[in-house]
Amino acid sequence: MANVVGTPLKRKEDPRLLTGNGRFSDDIQLPGMLHAAILRSPHAHAHIKKINAEAALKLPQVVAVYTGKDLEGKIGPIPSSWLVPDCNLKEAPQYPLAIDRVRYVGDGVALVIAEDRYAVRDALDLIDVEYEALPAAVRQKEAMQEGAPLVHDDIEHNIALHWKAGEIADEVLESAEVVVRESFYVQRVFPSPIETRAAIGEYNPGSGELTLWCTSQNPHIHRMVLSGVLGISEAKLRVIAPDMGGGFGGKIGVYPDEALIGYAARDLGRPVKWIEQRSEHFTASNAGRDEVIDVELYGQRDGALTAIRVKNTANLGAYLSTMGPGVATIDFGLMITGAYDIPHASCETFGVYTNTTPTDAYRGAGKPEATYQIERIIDLYAREIGMDPVELRRKNFAPKEAFPYTNAQGLIYDSGDYEKPLQKALEIVNYEQLRQEQEEMRKQGKLIGVGISTYVELCGFGPSKVAGAIGFQGGVWENSTVRVHPSGKVTVYSGTSPHGQGHATTFGQIVADKLGIPMDDIELVFSDTRAISMSWGTYGSRSTPVGGAAVAIAADRVVEKAKKIAAHELEAAADDIIFESGIFQVKGVPGQQRTFQEIAKAANMAWNLPEGMEPSLEAQSFFDPENFVYPFGTHIVVVEVDKETGEIQMKRYVCVDDVGRVINPLTAEGQVHGGIAQGVGQALWEGAVYSSEGQLLSGTLMDYTLPKARFFPPIESSFTETPSPVNPLGAKGVGETGTTASIPAVMNAVMDALKPYGVKDIDMPLTPEKVWRVIQEGEGN
Amino acid sequence: MNIEYSYSFKGVSRELLWKTLQNKEVLQRALPGCQSFEEAGENVFNAELGLNIGPIKGRFTGVVRQVDMQEPEAYRLLLEGKGKPGEIDADAKMSLEESDEGTLLTCCAEVKVTGILASMGQRVMGGVAKVILGQFFKDIQKETKEIAKL
Amino acid sequence: MAIENRKVTVTVNGQERSAEVEPRKLLVHYLRDDLGLTGTHIGCDTSQCGACTIMVNGAAVKSCTMLAVQADKSELTTVEGLGTIDHLHPMQQSFWEEHGLQCGYCTPGVMMAMIGLLQENPNPSEEEIREGMEGVICRCTGYQFIVSAVQKAAKIMAEAAAKDGEAVAASQLVGEGTHRG
Repeated sequence: MANVVGTPLKRKEDPRLLTGNGRFSDDIQLPGMLHAAILRSPHAHAHIKKINAEAALKLPQVVAVYTGKDLEGKIGPIPSSWLVPDCNLKEAPQYPLAIDRVRYVGDGVALVIAEDRYAVRDALDLIDVEYEALPAAVRQKEAMQEGAPLVHDDIEHNIALHWKAGEIADEVLESAEVVVRESFYVQRVFPSPIETRAAIGEYNPGSGELTLWCTSQNPHIHRMVLSGVLGISEAKLRVIAPDMGGGFGGKIGVYPDEALIGYAARDLGRPVKWIEQRSEHFTASNAGRDEVIDVELYGQRDGALTAIRVKNTANLGAYLSTMGPGVATIDFGLMITGAYDIPHASCETFGVYTNTTPTDAYRGAGKPEATYQIERIIDLYAREIGMDPVELRRKNFAPKEAFPYTNAQGLIYDSGDYEKPLQKALEIVNYEQLRQEQEEMRKQGKLIGVGISTYVELCGFGPSKVAGAIGFQGGVWENSTVRVHPSGKVTVYSGTSPHGQGHATTFGQIVADKLGIPMDDIELVFSDTRAISMSWGTYGSRSTPVGGAAVAIAADRVVEKAKKIAAHELEAAADDIIFESGIFQVKGVPGQQRTFQEIAKAANMAWNLPEGMEPSLEAQSFFDPENFVYPFGTHIVVVEVDKETGEIQMKRYVCVDDVGRVINPLTAEGQVHGGIAQGVGQALWEGAVYSSEGQLLSGTLMDYTLPKARFFPPIESSFTETPSPVNPLGAKGVGETGTTASIPAVMNAVMDALKPYGVKDIDMPLTPEKVWRVIQEGEGN
Repeated sequence: MNIEYSYSFKGVSRELLWKTLQNKEVLQRALPGCQSFEEAGENVFNAELGLNIGPIKGRFTGVVRQVDMQEPEAYRLLLEGKGKPGEIDADAKMSLEESDEGTLLTCCAEVKVTGILASMGQRVMGGVAKVILGQFFKDIQKETKEIAKL
Repeated sequence: MAIENRKVTVTVNGQERSAEVEPRKLLVHYLRDDLGLTGTHIGCDTSQCGACTIMVNGAAVKSCTMLAVQADKSELTTVEGLGTIDHLHPMQQSFWEEHGLQCGYCTPGVMMAMIGLLQENPNPSEEEIREGMEGVICRCTGYQFIVSAVQKAAKIMAEAAAKDGEAVAASQLVGEGTHRG
């Protein structure tokens, strides 16, 4: 049987999804099920004076209304899961419903339960809340100033955390011939999975078991946190993530809403369903980014970079989200040197409370921001010293021979060859010629820009002791069980929780090769805490390098045991058994063989096993990686800016990514495309807009631009393969690479196009209006 | 957000316009979607208005206050309204200037809104406010004829 | 509410179905909650995302923009009526082969919209396909493989039409296969 790892197999999960046979949260109907809706604050900051739910409760179909006061002492606050150490972290308690004060537009005020999904919204309209509006702190730098309104009375200057990493000696800074400074704003965006969040609770009063179906990227984290919040044993709380319509980080968080639904189902003794509305999603689901990044890049006239000093002021919103504190600190601050061998680095991060929706991990979580600042500032440095941006990058790359390479902040990059994807990408775009064309077009008055990003990012967190040291309230290992049935068909259990990535296919490919069986003989089980041992879910591009590795190791263990059984049956030593393409064979004795299916049967029947061997054929592995993995690559974008309108047209998008060993080139490329679309979205179209009073003005899909098909040219995507030494697959993460790389690539391209006007930075998103204004100013109009 | 709107009342004297704008019955008739308008004190009214703001429809109840009365040239209209789509807090400076044609009324309002009004309505609010104000002033222009008869 | 329920009868995926619904009920909720056809999804509340696109009397329509009562006596096709696991519709088959879906949530609506496009323009250019997707949003794929899938589907459908020796309209391919109630 031909090996399938590395081949572009069609996905196992698709026929179901293509025929309407997916089972998403809202598809679940339970007998006697009630519908829930959450009344949310229209104020960014206000005291709750009075809540009157009488009229709502009079509606015939309304079953219950809960307020924050009703739940006081019954459900605990929702804790953050990333308590970053040594940064004076101040965690304000977030109760599932606001008790006497709302702190952002979207803060939950009342939970309403009714018999029908329309009736519950009628009831919502009838609840009268009297507020006393308070001044709001909205933007992070203003919120830190003396006299700014306090989001939490006891947290001075709204500073949730002050974190530092790295120090640079004054002599280093003073000896630099060149310093380039810029302040970048990586604006707040919304992850925006097309399926909003959802939760369904069902309680069995007989067994005391609570089952919660919810849109979670990490059901076990939900179970761990919610068991504490709800005061229920983990052994009696089952969390299931059904099919999910995307996540992108927005479904990592343990939100108040899931706790409320679990509580109500238990309290009312009936199943309760909550489906978030899209416009609700914009204020009630965690947003991403919102970081003001001040950068100073030091170096010599010849292009040798010597130091980078960064200050990040991050808007954390009104409460600490599940991963929020780690994003602008650990994820960002340790990666500020990017792919470059810059000997000195320091990062200082302020995490600031504001009267806005909390921010959390969004595709890339800190790495896109880190990559943005280094890839943007290096372009400005190149401009300053009059060097081609490609040449400056090459000159400063961490060299191939240096791997495993330790960056200035102490991270050890597992493997890398940055020159390889760069060279390939330059060949694909024909860089030299492109620059000549650009020059000619400029002469004709056309604004053509070429943008480059040679990124590296960290993902596949590990080992767990490092997670503990950086304050992550969980492990970062992963588990898998490979269970072989008597027929030789196999069920694989994995702790990662896919929602579009295609793990059933990629993990199936791994097992198919290991066991020498067809893909059709393998079924995958994910996302149910009852079926799957403790695990940590899907985020941070960890599924393949950590989860897939666990699958591979479990499959190896199955083979190891099967070999012993085969050896016993064939009366040979286990060492003499060769296993290839599903056949166990005695070395050098053709014909002396057993099939995988025969051994599966023998193991499960256990009629004739080696002395002392336990029956059945099943193995579990718990894989704790020895290090992170660091995918890298080069993205090159060509844009044309319309002088008259400020509109940006992407002419070409070329990317060469190195994500280690590629398990399935088709799904890997799909991940790259999707990541790019979200990154380009951030650069050009997406952006939260808050009024100075803290009202979200971009709160519907009419007002917030999600990229559409016609916005993109064909993406020319390819890979180079530099295997990772830290897992048996040699694989790295792929999900976040596109987003991480594309934001600066597009921005650099537009800034390059606008170079004749001397402009160095425009805040994202680059709407035509902003670009037009810059052109008008540049033209002296 | 700020909304500025001017309307020229042709052939209407400043004094007549002032008188018209201060007439409770007139206001009740001319205010768009006004369902009730009751005096709650000197220059304080409790009002109930049905408004359509772009995609948002709703009934708002609230208090209208007239302050800083400088007859006949200026006053401030303070509105605090509340409805299902959100809350409105407006501070409008109304100034009446004599012109060749008659009287030019200028309304400079600072408006704060919350809820769906903010997230969905803000985008269209400027335009909608102008339509509503235009309608209101047109009705007032008609009403001046009745008031002139008094 | 005081308004009486109405009986709404439709022919969906070739079967006649009916249910009593509130007059304000959206067609998409009628399909999902009353008829149990959960393959059609909801992604927004302002009719932007297109996840709920179905065929109403042969035309692609966002089923959140219609009330159920407005669809009374209509012929509807939802994703459940396109093809079966064993006999996928060319659009489904092409989405599978070209990796035109990731999470699969927007997919039923996107496929319906694209079948609608091919009815009007059986041989669209890449640009026309991208323009034709104006009414739908996919957050996972970056659209490129959806474009490839639609190109492939157009080709298969055109070949099938040519084979039949007559111009079989794309609409006639809709509703092939076994229907599911």
